[in-house]
Amino acid sequence: MPPAFVVASSRPQASRPQSSRPESLRPRIPVTLLSGYLGAGKTTLVNRLLAAPGGRRLGVLVNDFGAVNVDAALIEGAEDGVLSLADGCVCCAISDDLGQALDRLRARPRPPEHVLLEASGVADPLRIARMAGGWPGFELDAIVTLADAETLPARAADRYVGQLVRAQLQAADLVALTRTDLLSPEAAGAARASLRALAPETRLLDAPHGEIEADLLLGPRSATPAAPRSQARPQGACSPLPSHDLATVRSALWQARGPVDPAHLTAALEALPPAIHRAKGVLRAPDGAALLVQKVGARAALSPTPAEPTDALVLIAAGAPEALGPALAEALARLDALPPETAR
Amino acid sequence: MSQIPSSEITVFTARRIRTMTPSAPVASAVAVRDGRILEAGTLDTLRPWLDAHPHRIDDRFRDHVLTPGFIDPHLHPTLGALLLPCPFITAMEWRLPDRTCAAVRGRDDYLARLAEIDAGMEGTEPLVTWGYHRIWHGEIGREALNAISGTRPIVLWQRSFHEVVANDAAIDWMGLDRADLARYAQVDLAAGRFFETGLALAMKGMGPFLHAPQRFIGGLEQVKRAIHLGGHTTIGELAYPLADDAAEWGAVQAVFGGADVPFRMQFVPRGAGRGTWSSAAPEQELERVNAFAARSTDKLIFGNGVKLFADGGFFAELMQMQDPGFIDGHHGEWMMAPESIEALARVFWNAGKRIHIHCTGDLGVELALDILEKLQWERPRFDHRFTIEHFGVSTPEQARRIKTLGALVSANVYYVHELGEAYWRASIGHERASQMARLGSLAREGVPFALHSDFTMAPALPLNSAWVAVNRIGESGAVIGEGERISLDAAMRAITIDAAYVLGMENEVGSIRAGKKADFTVLEQDPWEVDPTALRDIPIWGTVFEGRPFPLAG
Repeated sequence: MPPAFVVASSRPQASRPQSSRPESLRPRIPVTLLSGYLGAGKTTLVNRLLAAPGGRRLGVLVNDFGAVNVDAALIEGAEDGVLSLADGCVCCAISDDLGQALDRLRARPRPPEHVLLEASGVADPLRIARMAGGWPGFELDAIVTLADAETLPARAADRYVGQLVRAQLQAADLVALTRTDLLSPEAAGAARASLRALAPETRLLDAPHGEIEADLLLGPRSATPAAPRSQARPQGACSPLPSHDLATVRSALWQARGPVDPAHLTAALEALPPAIHRAKGVLRAPDGAALLVQKVGARAALSPTPAEPTDALVLIAAGAPEALGPALAEALARLDALPPETAR
Repeated sequence: MSQIPSSEITVFTARRIRTMTPSAPVASAVAVRDGRILEAGTLDTLRPWLDAHPHRIDDRFRDHVLTPGFIDPHLHPTLGALLLPCPFITAMEWRLPDRTCAAVRGRDDYLARLAEIDAGMEGTEPLVTWGYHRIWHGEIGREALNAISGTRPIVLWQRSFHEVVANDAAIDWMGLDRADLARYAQVDLAAGRFFETGLALAMKGMGPFLHAPQRFIGGLEQVKRAIHLGGHTTIGELAYPLADDAAEWGAVQAVFGGADVPFRMQFVPRGAGRGTWSSAAPEQELERVNAFAARSTDKLIFGNGVKLFADGGFFAELMQMQDPGFIDGHHGEWMMAPESIEALARVFWNAGKRIHIHCTGDLGVELALDILEKLQWERPRFDHRFTIEHFGVSTPEQARRIKTLGALVSANVYYVHELGEAYWRASIGHERASQMARLGSLAREGVPFALHSDFTMAPALPLNSAWVAVNRIGESGAVIGEGERISLDAAMRAITIDAAYVLGMENEVGSIRAGKKADFTVLEQDPWEVDPTALRDIPIWGTVFEGRPFPLAG
């Protein structure tokens, strides 16, 4: 058998490629890559997210369609490897061709706002992230790797898959430890310690019962003006947003007083406390240009955007409940300390 | 006693018949009726048949040597169909039905050959050529291709399939937006290079051209002729389907199902469909695999085999290696999760299937043997024919363990010729590179093995594979890994009777004896009489398939 031979489509088609128009005006769809070895809990998470996508029109790409389990009442249609749900979400099988699966999502009458891409258990996440993140019309949001707390130490030392499991952890922006609810606090602590030793640079969070809140997994939606949860407040006062279902996740909104200097902002984002797993918003640069600001795990990125600036950043913190308040307060204080800029 | 009416007997006489039956290795006549062998021997020993039944003597092979029809137990006709319509420019010689592609090495010679092909083409028809490799052809990029043509799309499809290089006309033809390409990590727009995941973008653009039905059917026709050219009468398609069963089965039936096709195919289904390689429902996979049996015909056979995949491609350096791994420190990949392979293998093992497992590196082999050992412990089986496919890198100890566990090997020994020296210098070092496809160790341990081409990974020319196995001549002409060379007898068995054994067809084909299919490969010279280094140069007259001569000429 030849190696990973890429077949664009096995179905014979028209004899000449169709030329596709540049679509620079359409925003790229962010892709969150869900990585993790077999049994890490990816399917559980996908099923939960499809049941409660948090108001997003989500596209989910899975390897194994058979494992997807959605309440039949939610299903609007199922044809040709695409499951359409009543809330506008779709779930598709990748089959053998990720590019084709992405193209099909984007060609839908109402394309998804965000894509969750489940990597195969033996995939090198960097490889998939490079492909999905660079595919026309898409961009990488983050690599989130799940690790089963129970089996992690054995898997990471396994003769056959140890290297792969370690590479999946090290590639991640966020690592979520699953099944911690099944372990004693001591065992869960040991799993955390072994994960920290394997991937010291990676931001770590707990996902008991295989759940990660949508805003944490995919990033907050409230960075755009149309978003529902924008309780603006003047810069300088800490006001955490209403708490979420899971007590271990909290968010806050930071309102900028005016334009921000990109270099200063990047430095401030990089210095946020490690419990701040995500930050997102559209700010203004001193020259008036709109900047999409995103932070995932330890990685922060500023990029030009056609979106209207809201001058606000949503911060999401996760971790031990008692640590979240102080972490958010510290984050807001750091952002407040940004030197004021006047618009030019 | 009632007389059962039957056809006339044909007796083929030949200068020599190599039966590949050690009990009577040489004959000079073989009697055939209704596509089967009645007996091999001499006209004298055949006398009781000839006295009892109408017959005719066919002496057209009086100057030729007959061997059992060659068998390649592992190739991929549908992949070949995508490739063969391409002009080849390759560092090694490729003999194909409609052309012999001379070895082309060095950047200047490569570009000169490309310009020659371009000049021979009409209009702006795309030129997609296969075989480019940096090791042999140097750096060739977009500008060099633009210099050959500013209007014709030119695409170099790299030898290992993992990269293409395109000129500007090709980038336009693919319908790709340069702004998209500029931000894609594995596309080098300046050089026109699309590599690894970047290849998917190029294939998205080229797919409609490569998969156009006429081109694909034409490609399958070329594959049919290529298989005949090699002297094959039986082949194994070792991972059916490539991607799309419905489309492929129709094309396969149309091209390979007819009475004029001089070979039969055994299809070995994938143990798990593509894209569901992490699936956890092995029982369903067993049902799917079993369902193919209903399609079986005399020509297109679904046997008892099933295919699984361990580690990645050998040409792509994605094999899983034990310590000390690769010189550059990169890692191979698993094509299926080890747990999934084991779960699937268990279900197939317990159903009595013959398991073929793709293993390219020594860690891949180790995984396969660990799984086999567990299965043997849980439920011992004799004559199970668990087969290690490809067998790129292995250890001497694994050869013994293969023997102990009763496994077989089907090896792509061509690796040694094309990659032995390249992998010595740039991949895994001399010791392991020189011992890739360690057939000598298998022979010493008494492990039955076959040779295959994995066409299009290697030329579908069994005598060429046997030539590599016997001589282990690398691409420079030097011998590499002489301790792993095998005898001519072993090499000839590996393309006939032992290849039949690997496919579970040894009672039907693979040797010339009473009762088997009358399949012969007709050679102009006797392999046992030529210098071993000339084995691959023996001209092939053609074949006899089920008693019917199929000359290559005409």
